[in-house]
Amino acid sequence: MSYWICQLTGWGIFTLLKIIAAIEVDGLPWLSTTFYILLIHAAGLGLTHALRGYMRRHGWSEVRTGKLVWRGLAASFILAVPLAAGTSLTPIEMLQAPGLPAMFPANLVPLLAFALNLVNWAFVFVIWLVIYFTAIGIRQHQAAALRQSELARALQQAELRLLKSQLNPHFLFNALNTVRSLIAEDPPKAQRAVTRLANTLRYTLGAGQHELVSFERELEMVGDFLELEKLRFEERLAVVREVAADTGTAQIPAMLLQTVVENAIKHGIAELPAGGTLRIHADLRDDILELQVENPRPLEAPRPTSAGTGLRNAEERLRLLFDSRASLELDLSQPERATTRIRIPQYS
Amino acid sequence: MRALIIDDEPPARRELRRLLADFPWVELVGECGNIVAAAQKIEELTPALLFLDIQMPGGSGFDLLTRLEHLPQVIFTTAHDEHAVRAFEVNALDYLLKPIDPARLAASLARVKKDPVAPARTADAPLQQLFLRDGSQCWFVPLHEVRLLSSEGNYVRLSWGARRPLLGRALATLEQRLDPQKFFRANRRQVINLEFIENVEMGINGRLHVQLRDGPEVEISRRQARLFRSQMSI
Repeated sequence: MSYWICQLTGWGIFTLLKIIAAIEVDGLPWLSTTFYILLIHAAGLGLTHALRGYMRRHGWSEVRTGKLVWRGLAASFILAVPLAAGTSLTPIEMLQAPGLPAMFPANLVPLLAFALNLVNWAFVFVIWLVIYFTAIGIRQHQAAALRQSELARALQQAELRLLKSQLNPHFLFNALNTVRSLIAEDPPKAQRAVTRLANTLRYTLGAGQHELVSFERELEMVGDFLELEKLRFEERLAVVREVAADTGTAQIPAMLLQTVVENAIKHGIAELPAGGTLRIHADLRDDILELQVENPRPLEAPRPTSAGTGLRNAEERLRLLFDSRASLELDLSQPERATTRIRIPQYS
Repeated sequence: MRALIIDDEPPARRELRRLLADFPWVELVGECGNIVAAAQKIEELTPALLFLDIQMPGGSGFDLLTRLEHLPQVIFTTAHDEHAVRAFEVNALDYLLKPIDPARLAASLARVKKDPVAPARTADAPLQQLFLRDGSQCWFVPLHEVRLLSSEGNYVRLSWGARRPLLGRALATLEQRLDPQKFFRANRRQVINLEFIENVEMGINGRLHVQLRDGPEVEISRRQARLFRSQMSI
């Protein structure tokens, strides 16, 4: 579509200029001049259209530039032959050999006129080809850029999917084992545990649908998760929450706090024979949700390299979602204590 | 059969206790929540069977086994570490997945009951098997399959089949726990399994050269050669 617009506009303007120049500057009779110029330029348009078809069939847009220049020049001169001949044969004298000096012998004039017309037309085709390939180049470049950005987005989404934390199967099966135990010991407690486990699972399974959830929702899930962990660890796990009321509607990547809390239990409290207290602190300050999770940890922590995977994934996920505006930091500077700090920008 | 439960989660211990009520021949002598306490209890109570969780505070179930002198029989109980238990390449090892299926528990206990290699009950009886950990792999090594123990600094290198696992103990302390009827100190650095001797040749200066089946030739020092002759009556 845009090809035909360019083609018709280009040839139209060129033809108009030629007609005006012939009539106004050279003072030629307007009817016959217009007729012949229109005829020849229509042929020119037809030839360039045919050339385009030929070039597309032979994949000229894939040919490297050096080769393309020679091919373009050759094509231009070949196409110029019929047009130069046509122009030379028109009865209107001034069109035949514009500006040809009269000092040449009369029998040479037609030949010279033809040669001049040939060069003129070849030049026109070269210009046409330059415009054509510039347009093609721009279009290819745009398509490539579009593909590139689509690719980047797809990659980012795949990365996010991968980084999104899943519920740890170890937690799941231990929770089921606890429930089995409670069924014999305390059926009402077992019933509550099953409900909590269902809530936790439902949240995890649904987490794939939304990138961001309200902090209230995430905290609710973490609450269920912690209740189940308390059933397992009994008096070894205590939880303290300091959550500012205005944080409820803040947005947070689903499962982010859960990952941090699970990490704090797995590498902190679960490693201590006497257990300890987990502190969750949440605050909204200057449109930034600030979270802090604090837990005791063993003094000598020969942490295997794989241990930090959950946190590293969470960090990478924050980077993909918020660039450098969000942060996650694990502070191990104090002995026997670990603090995870998270900052998530909020835009209301 | 005296058994001990080692698991850091109280509900898991109670659950197993309830399940074991159906097997009156399994006598539960105690339970522990971490491996330090467990190591003590095992020395003290010498149970014949351990129900052992893998992930625990202060060290894993594998860590516990590497610390033990006498290895009871072991049934691992785990929620999701079967891949860790499968790291046991050679010895088929028993494990139960939590929540424990009563039928699987019955099958495991039946296997334990008829296992001919009953472990020693008393503290000074010779060692029957060793627990070894080498990188990500773990083995229960029956000592009668080990043909040679070589000292490497504070460690002992075992020649066991095609494997050469390293044990985190000194040869001198390990030697005291070996069965003197089966193992013999050949020289300062090596202890050989007498059942693997293929032939013995006289060397110079009263030394002996012993060819082990599938294994290297070991030299018996002059001093030990005299002992060897009298013990073997050659």
